[in-house]
Order: sequence, then C-alpha cells, then structure tokens
Amino acid sequence: MQIWLNYTDQILVFAMLAVSLNLLLGYAGQVSVAHAAFAAIGGYTMGARVENHHWSFLPAVALGILLALIAGIIVALPALKLSVEYLILLTLAVSSVIIGVFVASKSLGGTYGLIEISGNKIFGFHLDRPGDWVIPLAVSLIVVYLICWRIGESPYGRVLKGLREDPLATQALGKNVFAYKVSVFAITSAMAGFAGAMYSGWYHLATPGLYGFNFSLTIFAIVIFGGMANLTGSVLASIIIVLLDPFLKRVLKLNADKSFVVQLIIYGAALTLLMRLRPQGVFPEGFSLWKRLRHGRQREARIEMNAEDWVPDTHVSIREGDHEPTHSEQGERESRWQNAPVVLQARGISKSFGGIVAAENLDIDLRKGTITALVGPNGAGKTTVFNLLTGFIRPDHGSVVLNGKELVGRTPDAVARMGLVRSFQDVRLIQRISCLTNVMLAVQQQPGEHLVPLFTPGPITSKGEDVTRDKAMGWLRFVGMADFADVPAGALSYGQSKLLSLARVLATEADVLLLDEPASGIDTKWVDTMLDLIEAVREQGRTVCIVEHNLHVVGRLADHTYFMELGRITAQGTIDELTGSERLAEAYFGT
Amino acid sequence: MAPDTATDAAPRTATDRETVLSIEHLNGGYGRKQVVFDCSMHVGRGEIVGVLGHNGSGKSTTIKTIHGVIPALGGKITYQGQDTTRNGTRVNVRNGMALIPSERFVFQDLSVLDNLLLGGANEPDTGKRATRLELVYELFPILRERAGQPAGTMSGGQQRMVSLGLALMSSPKLLMLDEPSLGLAPSVVQQIFSTVRHLADTEGLAVLLLEQNVGQALKIVDRVYVMRSGRVLLEETVEQMRARDSYWDLF
Amino acid sequence: MFARFDATTVAQLTANGVIRGAAYGLLGVGFALILGVTGRFHFAYSFTYTLAAYMAFTFRFRGPKLPFWIASFLGILFATVVGILIERFIYRPLARRAGATALLAVFVAALGIGIAGQNLIALLWSQATQAFYGPTKKGWHLGTTTFENFDVWQVLTALALVLLLTALLRFTGLGRAIKATRVNPELATVIGINANVIYLVCFGIGTFLAGVSAFWYGLQVSIQPDIGQRPVIFAFVVAFLAGTARSPLRVFLTGIAVALVEQWSSIWLSVRWTQTAVFVILVGYLASLSVRGKKLADIFPFLRPAVSAPTSSISGS
Repeated sequence: MQIWLNYTDQILVFAMLAVSLNLLLGYAGQVSVAHAAFAAIGGYTMGARVENHHWSFLPAVALGILLALIAGIIVALPALKLSVEYLILLTLAVSSVIIGVFVASKSLGGTYGLIEISGNKIFGFHLDRPGDWVIPLAVSLIVVYLICWRIGESPYGRVLKGLREDPLATQALGKNVFAYKVSVFAITSAMAGFAGAMYSGWYHLATPGLYGFNFSLTIFAIVIFGGMANLTGSVLASIIIVLLDPFLKRVLKLNADKSFVVQLIIYGAALTLLMRLRPQGVFPEGFSLWKRLRHGRQREARIEMNAEDWVPDTHVSIREGDHEPTHSEQGERESRWQNAPVVLQARGISKSFGGIVAAENLDIDLRKGTITALVGPNGAGKTTVFNLLTGFIRPDHGSVVLNGKELVGRTPDAVARMGLVRSFQDVRLIQRISCLTNVMLAVQQQPGEHLVPLFTPGPITSKGEDVTRDKAMGWLRFVGMADFADVPAGALSYGQSKLLSLARVLATEADVLLLDEPASGIDTKWVDTMLDLIEAVREQGRTVCIVEHNLHVVGRLADHTYFMELGRITAQGTIDELTGSERLAEAYFGT
Repeated sequence: MAPDTATDAAPRTATDRETVLSIEHLNGGYGRKQVVFDCSMHVGRGEIVGVLGHNGSGKSTTIKTIHGVIPALGGKITYQGQDTTRNGTRVNVRNGMALIPSERFVFQDLSVLDNLLLGGANEPDTGKRATRLELVYELFPILRERAGQPAGTMSGGQQRMVSLGLALMSSPKLLMLDEPSLGLAPSVVQQIFSTVRHLADTEGLAVLLLEQNVGQALKIVDRVYVMRSGRVLLEETVEQMRARDSYWDLF
Repeated sequence: MFARFDATTVAQLTANGVIRGAAYGLLGVGFALILGVTGRFHFAYSFTYTLAAYMAFTFRFRGPKLPFWIASFLGILFATVVGILIERFIYRPLARRAGATALLAVFVAALGIGIAGQNLIALLWSQATQAFYGPTKKGWHLGTTTFENFDVWQVLTALALVLLLTALLRFTGLGRAIKATRVNPELATVIGINANVIYLVCFGIGTFLAGVSAFWYGLQVSIQPDIGQRPVIFAFVVAFLAGTARSPLRVFLTGIAVALVEQWSSIWLSVRWTQTAVFVILVGYLASLSVRGKKLADIFPFLRPAVSAPTSSISGS
C-alpha cells in the first residue's frame, strides 16, 4: 500500500510541474528546459531553511516560491528579444548555472545535497510518511491546475497564444508581448518552485541528481505527450509516465535498474515517434472531453468552405461591376480629401540602413473618413513607410503625430493602442486558433487580459469576455465570415484569410488603419466585395491608408494618392493626375 | 566585347524558331494560395519574351513553377519537346533551365569565383567549365578583377552580373530572369540587357524576362505577355507594345 | 579563494585547456556544421557520440575482436552511418510534416532519440563502466607541464580533421555546395544543388568528428552510457559562441578558448565553480546580445524552410 501512496505522491508532483510548464511551453510557446532548475530553487530553499535554519514548513515553502519567482523574472529579461534557438540555449545555460551553484555550495550539501529534510508539519499535522503527503500534494496540484487553467483559458491566455504563434502580429494588435513574456515566466517559475518545495519535502531530499537535466527533460516529455496547451493531458501523461515504473516491474517483472532504463527508452522512443507522426501532441489543442460530450460532433459539421463558388456573406451593399471613378468624380474625391481634418500627420520621416536610403523626408497626411493610397514601383519603400509609422522601425528623423500625440519613439504595441493599426502583406493570422478567437484578440481594453481582474472575484472578466465576443462576431459578420467563427484560421483559403485579417484590424477600433495590399491574391470573383468593404469602412468615418500595386484597385478606392520612388514622395494627387504625368510613367515603367 | 546598344535586326516571327518552352493552362501557387490561373505561354529558340505585370501578378510564381521549385497545381509544361510538368529542379537544371530570382540572387558570403563555379557544378568536364568561365569573364570583365571578393560586398549591378554569370556557367538553353533591373541604374540595366540580347542572338538562348521596367524591357524583347492578378491579360509583339501610348491600364 | 598565479600552474592549466579544448572544438565544429547547414537542433549528437565509443569497444573486445585501430575506426564509422540514418528517416520526414514548427519538433525528436539511445546502450551493454584500452599510455612532459601521449595525439588528430574540413569547404565542389546551402538554401535549390544529399553529408561529417572525439575520451577516461551528455552541451555552446557561419578552424579555436577559460578560472575560483563559470559567461553573452538587439538572422541564418517544402515567396508574385 505504501508503495502506491508513493506513486500517487510522485504523480501529483510531476503533474504540478507538467501543468505549470505547459502554461509556459504549450500556451506561451516559450521553450524552456530550465523548469526543473526552478523547482530546484524551491526545493533547496525549503530544504535549507528547514534543515539548516529550522524554519517550519510553510514559511520555507513560501520563501522557495518567492525566490523561484525572482529567478524566473531574471531569466526572462534577457530572453525578451531572443528567438527559440537562443531561448533553449539560455535556459540550458541557466539550468546548468543554478544546479552548478547548488553543487558548489557547501552549505547546501555540495554534490550530496540536503539529505535530511524532515520533521515537516502543516498546521501541526506531521508529514512523515507518504500517506501524509497525499492530501497536501493533491491540494497543491488543484491550486496550480486552477491557476494555470484560469490563465490559459482567459483573454490573457489568448494573448499568450498570440505570443506563441506570432509575436510580431500580436504586438501590432496592441499587446505588450514583452510584459506577457516576463509575467508568464515569473508565474510558471514560481509554480515550479512551489512544486519543488513540496517535492523535496516529500522526498526528504534536495540533491543535484534529483533536479538534474534529466528531470527537466522528463517534464518536457510529459508536456509534449499530453498535448500543448492541454492541461488535463499533462495530468494524464504524468500518470502514465509514473505508472510505467510499477507496470514494468510488476507486469513485465523487470528489476529496478532495468525498469529505470527501459522507462527512459520508452519515453524517448515515444517522444520521437510522436513528433514523427503527430507534432502537436497526442491531444489536439482545444480538445476537451467535456466539450465533446456536451456538444457531440455538431461543431465539426463540414462547411463547404473551400467551394469554388464561395463568396463572403456580407450585408455591405455591393456595387455591380468594375466601376472606376471618372475624371470629375476623382476631382470631387480629392477636394473632399483636402477638406477633411488631418488625423495623422507625418513630417520629415527619414531612415537609412547603412548607406541605403529607405525613406527620405516623407510628409504624409492621412485624413478622417478618407482612403489614401501609396503607390510606386518595386523597391520604392512603401511597406517601409508602414513600418516607420507604426514603430516597427524607428525613423532617424521626423515626427508622426496622431490626434495630437507624438508616435515616434513608442513601441509598436503602444502605437496600436493609441489608434494606429496595420495589416500585413503576408497576413499573419494565428493559424491554430479559430477565426473568432483571432478577431477577439484584436479587441482593445479587455479586462481579462490582465492578471488582477482575472483573479478578482466577480463578473468583470466574464462580462468583458461577452462584450469582446459580441464585438468580434459583429466584425466577422461585417466581412461575411460569420459561418467561419469556429473554424481554425489555418484552414482558410488565402482570400478568406485576407477578409479575416480585415476583420481583425477593424476589431481594434483604431482611428487609422494601414492596409498592406488588401486586395492582392483575392479571387477576381469577389475582389469587388473586398473593395466595397473597404469603402464601407471609410463611410464609417475611419481613416484608411492602403499600399497597392494594382492600379485599378487604387483607382477605385483612393481619394488621394502618394507616389513614391526610391524612398521619396515625388508626386501626389488623383490617379488621373499621376498617370497623366510622363515623368511618373518613366519612373514606373522605365525609359 | 558585349555590344552596348540593342540590336535593331528585322523582327523574327515565332514560326522561324523551334519552341523551347511551352506552358498550357498552367495553375500555380503555394499550398492553399493559388496565384497563377490558366496561364499559357511559349518561348522559342533565340527569342526574348517579356512577361510584364505589377507585383503580385503571378510572374515569379509562374517561372518558379516552370523551374520545378514549386509543384504545378494543374496544366502542362513542355520543355524541348518533353513533358516536364512533374520534374524537379535538379532535373530541369541538368537539362538546361536556369532561373535567376529577384532577391538574394547570389551567395553573398562566397567569393565571385565560388559563385561562378557553383553555377558550373553540373559540368563534369573541367575543360569545358574553364571555357565557360572565360566566356563569363569576357562578358563581365569586372568579375575577373574581383574574383576573390565576397559577392555580397559588390554593388547591386555587379551582383546582378555575378548572378547572370552563375546562370550562364551551366550553358542553359532557357534562361528565366526575375526583375533583373530592380534597384539598378539605367546604364547598368542597359549593359546587362544588351548582354542578354547578345546571348540570345549568338547562342540561341531562349529567355523569359520578367519586368516591371517596361521601357528597358521593350528594348530587347521580341514578344510580350502581360499578366495581372495571376492571369495572362494579353500577348503582343514588341512593335505593338511600343505603339501603345500608355501602359497604366495594363498594371 | 586566493589566486594561484604562478608560472607552473598557469602553464599546466593552459596545457589542460588546449587538450580539453581540442575535444570541445572538434565537437563544436561537427555540431556547427550540422546546425548551420541543416538547421537541425541535433541533440541526439550525444547518442552517436556514445555509440561510437561503444561500438569501438565492442568490435575490439567482443564479437569479432578486431585489432585495436581497425575496431576503433569501424566503431566510429558505425556511429556515422547511424547519424546519417537519423537525418534521413527521422528528421527529414518530420521537418517536412511539421512545416513552420519544424525547429521545435526536430528538437523534441532529437531529445527523444538522445534519451532513448543512451538508455538503450545501458540496456544492451549494461550501466557499468567499460574499460577501453589498446596502445600504451605514456606520460610526457614539457618543462614542468605534464600530459599524456594520448592527449597529444588527440589534439593532433582533432586539428588535422578540422584543417581537412576547412580545406574541403574551401577548395572542393562539395565544399562549395555545402557553403552555398548554408548561405542561401533557396538559391542553392534553384541552381540544382540537391540539398537533401548535402544534409546527409553534413550529418556524416559531423557525426564522424564526434565519434573521433568519443574514441579519445573512451581511451583516456572510460566508456559509460552517459558520456555523451556533457559533450553535446559543450558542442552546442561552442557552436553558438563561434557562429555556425564561421570557418571550422575558427569554431575549433573557440572551443579551445572556452576550455582555457574553464581552466584558468580555477586560478581564482575553486574547482567546484569552474564548470559553472563557462555557463555564467554564456548567460552573460546571451544577455548582452539581447541588449544590443542584434538581429538573429544576422548571426545565424537559422530559420530555414524544410528542404522539400515549397519555398514560399512572401514578396512579389
């Protein structure tokens, strides 16, 4: 009986570690191999306080959590701008340093570690035998699980998924991805420290061998098996992995040494096989047994999404035919443009990369309720302008003022929150989440995106989420994609993803929208619908700027056009004015 | 040795030449994104055919599909009389196709000579390769001067010459150029273009020239296709194209 | 912690550093070649390393009981073939399937192979330490500095292999093709280079170099199932510090530099801390990278698409 209690305790600890790592790895996409090292901080701290300084258990655990939290923040800071490969290397190095420090510290037992962590009590209740630990560990697991679940399945978790898939696009929607990165590292490290403190308490040991690299890999393997962003999967996988030992020993009658080795062979082989066959893990993301039971298969009803004759189901009035404005209509639009108030004013924007001038002294006005276009031959620097305006690249000189406030020097997410949002030429949707979730990510000022409201009792976050969902559905309906709400964005055709991308920028409710080639690559059958949608956006009083190569699209949409060549604006006006100029024809088509 | 003005020879009609490449109803794209729809073209021996169109019109995708870099989604590609629709790039290169992309068209960290030798890697006979190298050096003397220099440190025009030299090292029969004039001064463009014309005339090289720079392209092409939004809008001879007073409607 | 800064100690530490550094360097060169050209996070490097030593041992002392040098060479060759097979049958199909998440998927698969492999070796050969011996060990000295004949041979073979590889890359067609694939994989495919074959060649060379390193370790120390764990980490560290786009010689010298730092730090730090010192420096280096905001792509052309997947062109048609 004793031995099954031991296994139960072990499962509970492993599950705590796996669930917390899953929040970091599965939801936020941060590939860290240092999780066990943070657990070690918890375990050693608790052990040192109890064994060397005779603290009682709970305060020692609390200190362990705190130190692990601080360590998590310290590790996250250099990791902010590093990509996956570097993060793996950094967490590997940090892990080695932490364990190395423990090994080298005489007061922490050196290579032997702390081996007499005993006499622990919680509220007077002695914790000596494995059976005593079951309830405390189970409670701990439930706490950790609930925290991770609450965070992961909330608007905050949605941002984490954005961070995981495409940090750049998520930043462009106004989310401070760096803050999220640091906070998720801090939280998960703290939870690892908690698990470590409990683990060493149960084991009565805190040794380098216990928390070595192998342990990190085992936890990592559990998370992968159970499925990324699937917390229940992590618990189930923990059970399977821990119970592999008794299975091998009792059923297959292997001795202890052999069993240990065979277990690892099985994990390793299973990991490799799993990656080979199913890189997402055993359970797909978002799969929930509960949801499945309640709704059956109806949510997976096949929609004829990729039918040849699909058109967006939008209520925006569609103008028949390829109606290009006449010369006088163009003139009207131009004067309307001139009379509209300036919303965004860029002056003297310049940028050079090494010796190459990407932008020189650009003056651009974007006016309320109008569509301005940027055209020019290849290499003229049009997308660079978007990058400069939105803060993705910092200009060398110049200023960009939006509604009276200076944008230059601000981070891209700050710029987005202030009301200037852009779409990307390569779309950049979050493939693995649904269309609705993609659009919900774009909604601003969601209370659930911050930790404090998430854990404050009351309906603030759920009400906020309902509002967000309604808004997002509204925008999906606007672009005619309401039927696709639950479809993963990765399943869309290119044209459909462009529509979704439009819905996404609209959902930010930003004053100024920069659309990078909104109509390119769209099936000629409904490209007019896309153009009508953009015009409808203008009618709503928003300010739009587009970059386009297709001059017919520009002709249809633009009230005013800037012509760029080699980083400079050399002409502006109506399309007829521009195309009528011989000099421009020369610049565009060559001599 | 390369002439510096475009030849003004009497225009040769399509029937004079054997067809080197013919694509019929070609569909091309990437995964779920179809970019090229029902595209048909042909190029004859010694002919320079221009493919004009704005960014995103499907030009690059078309030649990448021909070259086997991307699998065709439908249609047929016939090269030198053989159906090459399912061929991979390596086979196509061995049979004399060469493609120069619009960006990252040299191996920046490698020397000019290494770049050229890479182009000639398919030629087992070192003697022939040496002859080819000589030819490239004669066309572009600056490459001989700077043979040891990393290609990435040369000017844009010189890099273009390296890329052209690289392609020529394999003695191609079909050369596909993706916007070679991008970012180059007109005089440099002229030099490169007239070299291409010269090769078409003397070696019978068939060329597909993708360009936005209509003016320069019209100086050397025999025929032109215009693409827009993934489809071929029209096909004209160079005279018909030159006769137009405005190109704005095509783009 | 007082400084032991006298000439004898420094000379000895330097010699130790060069010796250990030759091993780190060789490992780093092999790993850098694989990582730089194929982009695979080949953590299973530890497995092929260990396998080489075990197979050399087996060919010599079990089964065929071949003469020492033949057995050793065959053992290394065996591991090399396994390394190539891993790329061909695990990484390549996996990367093709995983698309955008290929890097992580390959990393996890490599971890899996590493763990399973190490323990498979323990299962098949036992966890016990195996003694691998052959030529006579001799102690040599240069002034007050002592080392073994094995040490010298190891440094020399490592140097020779690195120079050979450098020459291969510099002067041969294959070397050019390898560099081309590393520098610009899309263009390499366009000009007809068979990137799949290049990847296999790189795995072959990289695994072979690791195998040689393992052989010397086995001879000088011992053979155990876990001998691959630390080497793979050092290979990784050296490859990153040197940069995978650098010449092998440069990577090799970086390996020596790392070992020298490790050894010299014992002048000021007690031995317990020296191992950690290297990692502390690495963390510092990575943190500084982050602060300087260097673009990853400038240093390591890492994010490469799987070879057989279509090259997506984001700009232009």
